[in-house]
Amino acid sequence: MAKIEPGMESMLDMYFFETNSLLEQLDEILLRTEQANAFETEDIKEIFRIMHTIKGSSAMMGFDNLSVLAHKAEDMFFVIRENPDVITDVSFVYDLVFQVSDSYKAQIEAIQNNVGGEYEQTNFDELIDKLLKAKDKLSSEANGEAPKDNSAGSSDTAAQPAAAGEGKVSVRVFFEEGCQMENLRAFLLINTIRDECSFLEFYPADVETNSETSKEIVEHGFLITFSSKDDKNYILKQIENALNVQSYEVLTNAETAEDTKKDEAPKAEIPPEPVAAAVKTEAPKPAAAPSPAAAPSDAAIEKAQAAVAVANQTNGSQKQSLISVNLAKLDALHDIVGEIITTESMVISNPDLEGLELESFNKAARDLKKLTAELQDTVMSIRMVPLAGVFQKMNRIVRDMRKKLNKDVEFVIEGEDTEVDKSIVDSLQDPLMHLVRNCMDHGIEENADDRIAAGKPAKGTLKLSAQNSSGEVIITVSDDGTGIDPEKIMAKARKQGILTKPESEYTEKEIQNLILLPGFSTNEQVTEFSGRGVGMDVVKANVEKCNGTITVDSKKGKGTTFIIKIPLTLAIIDGMEITVGDIVFTVPISTIRESFKVETEQIVYDTGGNEMIMIRGVCYPILRLHEKFLIDTEVKTLEDGILLLVSSDNKDVCIFADRLIGEQQVVVKPFPKYLARYNIKGEGLSGCTIMGDGSISLIIDTNTLIG
Amino acid sequence: MTNDVIKEAVAKQQSGDRKLLADNTVLGKVMTFNIGEQVYGIEIQYVTEIIGVQRITKVPHVPNYIKGIINVRSKVVPVVDIRARFGKPEIPYNSRTCIITLSFNDTSVGIIVDSVADVEDIRTSDISATPENKGVNSNEFIQYMIRSGENTTKLILDVAKLLDEQEY
Repeated sequence: MAKIEPGMESMLDMYFFETNSLLEQLDEILLRTEQANAFETEDIKEIFRIMHTIKGSSAMMGFDNLSVLAHKAEDMFFVIRENPDVITDVSFVYDLVFQVSDSYKAQIEAIQNNVGGEYEQTNFDELIDKLLKAKDKLSSEANGEAPKDNSAGSSDTAAQPAAAGEGKVSVRVFFEEGCQMENLRAFLLINTIRDECSFLEFYPADVETNSETSKEIVEHGFLITFSSKDDKNYILKQIENALNVQSYEVLTNAETAEDTKKDEAPKAEIPPEPVAAAVKTEAPKPAAAPSPAAAPSDAAIEKAQAAVAVANQTNGSQKQSLISVNLAKLDALHDIVGEIITTESMVISNPDLEGLELESFNKAARDLKKLTAELQDTVMSIRMVPLAGVFQKMNRIVRDMRKKLNKDVEFVIEGEDTEVDKSIVDSLQDPLMHLVRNCMDHGIEENADDRIAAGKPAKGTLKLSAQNSSGEVIITVSDDGTGIDPEKIMAKARKQGILTKPESEYTEKEIQNLILLPGFSTNEQVTEFSGRGVGMDVVKANVEKCNGTITVDSKKGKGTTFIIKIPLTLAIIDGMEITVGDIVFTVPISTIRESFKVETEQIVYDTGGNEMIMIRGVCYPILRLHEKFLIDTEVKTLEDGILLLVSSDNKDVCIFADRLIGEQQVVVKPFPKYLARYNIKGEGLSGCTIMGDGSISLIIDTNTLIG
Repeated sequence: MTNDVIKEAVAKQQSGDRKLLADNTVLGKVMTFNIGEQVYGIEIQYVTEIIGVQRITKVPHVPNYIKGIINVRSKVVPVVDIRARFGKPEIPYNSRTCIITLSFNDTSVGIIVDSVADVEDIRTSDISATPENKGVNSNEFIQYMIRSGENTTKLILDVAKLLDEQEY
């Protein structure tokens, strides 16, 4: 067990964010290159960079095991980077790196779940051992093929510092103006990097004791010559991140400088021939706060900046135009906009204004409306993120399962640019994962021969697609596998006792949707991936949590398609206001098909005395809202009130209300927490909303109303 | 106030020690209100605000003592009629009827009371434990009592229980 170092907690969020996005980047590179079955030099460098950054930040946070793991992975890629041809067994390398990435994610999750408390420190010895062996193997191959390339493979062994070195490097460091006591700062800097260096000299040499050297440092900079044990970039990074360092420049490779000059210590007069552009540290912290805690946090911020910079580099050299914002702030903004819209309609349709001729007021009101609508759209769009991230993760799952189950499957992604609300993306990940796993496990045939026999190509296809359509996002997961066998489903449902009506009354569609019920799993054998009987109903519950719906469409022998429909935004809907007694209800306009008055002759009764109405040859049941919600009302005869034909997932029904008030855009608010214990949501109400006049209206959820 | 503080205060009362009996440290403040003849109180830190009775939107499928939901400055707050909750006969709301909104652990609830009385100090010397009379419905929501004057006791409600009750 280990604990997070105190003082580091504030940096955790940044660390998680940075490391997770790096790992995602890593996965993406791996998946991309795996398809091409070859590492590009650029990719190897990228992986190396990622491992390096992770190593650094993990070490900084005190996660030693993670840092060592990344270090070993970095070593392996160091060998590969020096000589990309050494990879003989590409898939072996991939598996290894995927393992590293997974172990990382698992450990980070463990830490994340226990912020402030203790967490289990996973022992990565086995994996590290594997990495070491792989590295040795690779480096021996590298040496065998190219003996002169002796630097590879021995980079981490301190015993061979000379061979490991990338030569001596001279760096001229400038401190921030006016930070004072430059000599001591220089000395601290030397101490910081000393452990990493196999050779270290600096000028002026007596900084520790002679405060006069301050002046010289201010004027000419502080000169350090070092050769690293490991990676010179790491040391440069440390120098860059050190407290009060304004800038540094790397001078001509010290080796050559030394060869020509034969100087013990390079003098300040050495013509500064910068080989690398001077690196300015961005936004130096004020020198007034040189507390020890400030140093690591500065470093972390800059590391994060560096990570962002790396990310930007890979996406073409675009300027840094992205910022990360805390979701809670966006939620707050979102709430405020909702309230502005409510308040706006309170002002504009204020009863005090009734009957007044207000030309300029109306004009101003129109302008205001336009602007608030724009504001709302913008705020919504801020929260919109593309589904690509989630889809990419599925890619990874398919890859793993393809290997484990030994099924040849092509994974097709469509419409990953489709954008949905951030909160929806988060809650979609698990359901999609379940669906993809199910399709891989149960959907696609066990062996290719069965497929060929069924007249299908030997290679299976799993398709994940997303598209926008009229205020909804439709996500489909489909496979061209065996499809769902209605008889098997029925038999299983019978066994589980989840049938609610006589078997003969079930339509094919209903049978297929039985698999979404709790406690249903057709796979006899529980596998690693699916078959526990939780799963499909969890998928359903998750989708419903974001007001979405899920349906199954399957043809035996042809394949299965899961269709998820999710409203684009959760919070604002177009609603029709209706009254029943003294209660106002809001019916989402998207569910209303028509509204009409009714004559007594149109009403028909079934044998149970239930009221029905015939519209264009189709019979619809009538649901009286005042009966359903036990409301006192004077309107009890159908002719006096109004009927609304509303549709839900699988049923249409006519609801009976007293009268229509009108259309209004409303902000959906959840019921107060105190009422959560009562089953309001299951009985046809999805939330409430505050109307223009300040009163509250209840929002009808047709799905649960009818069900 | 935590139960420990109350226990300590009650223990001081029962110790019989003259010095302890006279301990009139102010422990906090309560807002008192009337239900019929009885005076109840709620510790002031739970009270968000007091508003007059406004239009209450009924909500179906809830117990009868939850009268519905109201809009308090763009927040939807459920309201509970204390009379109904305590099983007392309900009376029509009038101009003195008030809704006191309480908040506890992020849960906001308004309670309907006959009228609001006063805000007063809680002193150690005034606190006494509730009688062990579990039969009465309202007793389970009483955390402790404070005495004032000769014969009046004020019943202080246990907000945690009132708002967090697990009842179906």
